[in-house]
Parts: sequence; C-alpha cells; structure tokens
Amino acid sequence: MIVGTRKPLAEIQDLVKKYDRLLLAGCDTCVAECASGGRREVAELAAALQMAFRLAGQEKDIREVSVDRQCVHEFLLDVVEAAQEADAVLSLACGAGVQALAARLPETPVFPALNTLFIGETAQRGLWLENCRGCGNCLLGLTGGICPISRCAKSLLNGPCGGARNGLCEINLALKLEPEVPCAWLQIYDRLTSLGELDRLLEFAAPKDWSTGDASGPRRVVRPDQQA
Amino acid sequence: MSQEITVVLMACRQALPEPSRLAGPLEQAGLKTRVILEPCSSKVEVFQMLRTLATEADLLWVVGCPEAACQLVEGSLRMAKRVAHAQEYLAEIGLEPERLGKTQLAAGNQEAAAAMVHEILERARSLGVNPAKADPLKKE
Repeated sequence: MIVGTRKPLAEIQDLVKKYDRLLLAGCDTCVAECASGGRREVAELAAALQMAFRLAGQEKDIREVSVDRQCVHEFLLDVVEAAQEADAVLSLACGAGVQALAARLPETPVFPALNTLFIGETAQRGLWLENCRGCGNCLLGLTGGICPISRCAKSLLNGPCGGARNGLCEINLALKLEPEVPCAWLQIYDRLTSLGELDRLLEFAAPKDWSTGDASGPRRVVRPDQQA
Repeated sequence: MSQEITVVLMACRQALPEPSRLAGPLEQAGLKTRVILEPCSSKVEVFQMLRTLATEADLLWVVGCPEAACQLVEGSLRMAKRVAHAQEYLAEIGLEPERLGKTQLAAGNQEAAAAMVHEILERARSLGVNPAKADPLKKE
C-alpha cells in the first residue's frame, strides 16, 4: 500500500484560501488504511477547514466525496460530477490519485492534502513501515522475503555493514526512532536460517541495475492484451 | 445578555445509564445540553467530534467507562486516544483543545459524576461561545 500523511493544516489552508467552494475528495484504499485520506479523514478535514476558515473570518462551502480509489479513471465519475459545483478540489489521495483526478478535471484546480511517502505495510495498528522502493527488479526471493533495498539504510546487497549493534541499524544512533530500526541483514540472516536456506547468501548479488528503478524517468507498464 | 452556551455530551450507555442525572444540573446552570447515547464511547469518531464542534457545540464532552471496566475491552482506551488526537487537531485549527473534554466514569459513581458536572460548568464558563461553530442565524 501507499502510505501518506496529511499536510499541516496551515499549509492546506494556504493552498485553497482563495476558493469559496471546495470539494474534498477521499480515497478509500491505501490512504484509508493508513488513516490519512479515507472518508473519515475527509470528514475530519472538512470540519477542521470549516472551523479554521471561520476563525480567519471566511465562510466556505465545503463538500465531501470519497471513492474506492482515485488512481483508476473510471472510479472518478462521482468526484467529477461533484466537482462541477466546486471552485477547487482538495484530494486526499496519494500523488497518483491526485494526478489522475487533475487529468479528469482540466478546468478545476486540484490540490493535494497529503504528502505521499512510501510503499509499505501496516506493521501493527498505528504503525506503517516502508518496505518497498519499487526498484523494478525484485530480489526478495534471494533474501527470504526481506528487502535490503528498502529496509537496509544503505541498500546493501551482499550482507551487513559494520555499523549494526545489538541487531539494530546504526541510523538509530542519530535518528532516535521508536520502534528502533533493526538491521535488515540480520533479519535476512535469521529468516534464511529458519528456512534452512542460508546457502542462498552464497550467491553473490552483482551491482544493481537501477535503470528499472526511479532513476530513468517516469516508468510505465504496457499490456496490449488489456487494452481496448 | 451573554449567549447561551451549548454542551453536547456523547456518552457510553454503560457509563451513563441515566443521562438526565448529568443533563439536569447542566441545564439548571443555564447550559443548553444535548446528550447522545452510544453503545460504547469508542463509537465516537474523530470526525464526529470535529463536526459537532463545527456545527453546534461550544463544548463537547465524551463520557466512557474506566478503561479496565469497558465491556468492549479496548473501547474506552480507543476513545481516550481519539480525544487526544482530536484535541491536537483543534490546536492546529486554532481553537482551544479544552473545548473537547472526556471523563472515564464508573457507572453509579455519584461523586465522580458531580465532579464532571462541575468541570464541564467551569470549562463552559471560562471558554464561552465557540467562535468556530456555524452561526445558527446565517441562512445557507
């Protein structure tokens, strides 16, 4: 899932302050799961903005809509319809959703209410951790399902650095995170040991070809069999 | 003449089986009071808290059971965390976080209930009318 967090309210207010009729559009997939952009959060932000603008002496017409996902154009029909009555749209989707919506509303300003952060998982209630960088060449099969690209601070491919202490990554010394960041390579070692497949680590991983990652401009997937 | 202050209480039915015991003294003190009974205080969501303050309430109070006594195990604990989150949101909005309060009240504890009434009255008097709520005289 894509994880994002709401922008500071003051920043959001500044983005939309000159528009009288606002439509807040939520997305009920990834950003609902991380409690930042679903229909509940749309309702929270709508009430919050209404109050914040009132305190600033402005009365806004703020409406709410949410769709299952904003990154699929066909799902945006409800938002497009509701946006006909708005001067601007504030999207609580991830960056992909905001852009899809903006493409469907070329004559209506569309603003992001979230900062999109990473691809990750719900590690526990209230805690989302990055675990995928979309590098385009997945090597999880070699590392027992633990990604060294995203979960090792240095994205090392052939074992740990010398900085790990007590199973923890050395970035904890500087960042003081809670919970602390484990050394991904120790986790890989432990996982492969429990699987009885530690010999996978005897395979040397060559320097990574990053051209499949985000270093080569906007990527795409084309499937002629899926096209109309 | 000062404006009437509206207090909305969202209360767990187990914690407050007789809402009139709370609403009565508040109304006698001059507060307009609305009690919304919930099956558990965890039914109250953050957006409901904010929406209530945006539309009608000068003061919103959530009443739940003591955490160890919640019949839904975590309900009262979740409510407490949501209230804290909503209070942070209020601070961001520029509104006093104290406009949202909570009490975790054991059913039948008259002393605690009286203390809560006193606290609500004090808070309502010190904060006054909510400048961020909708103006009931303004027509849409």
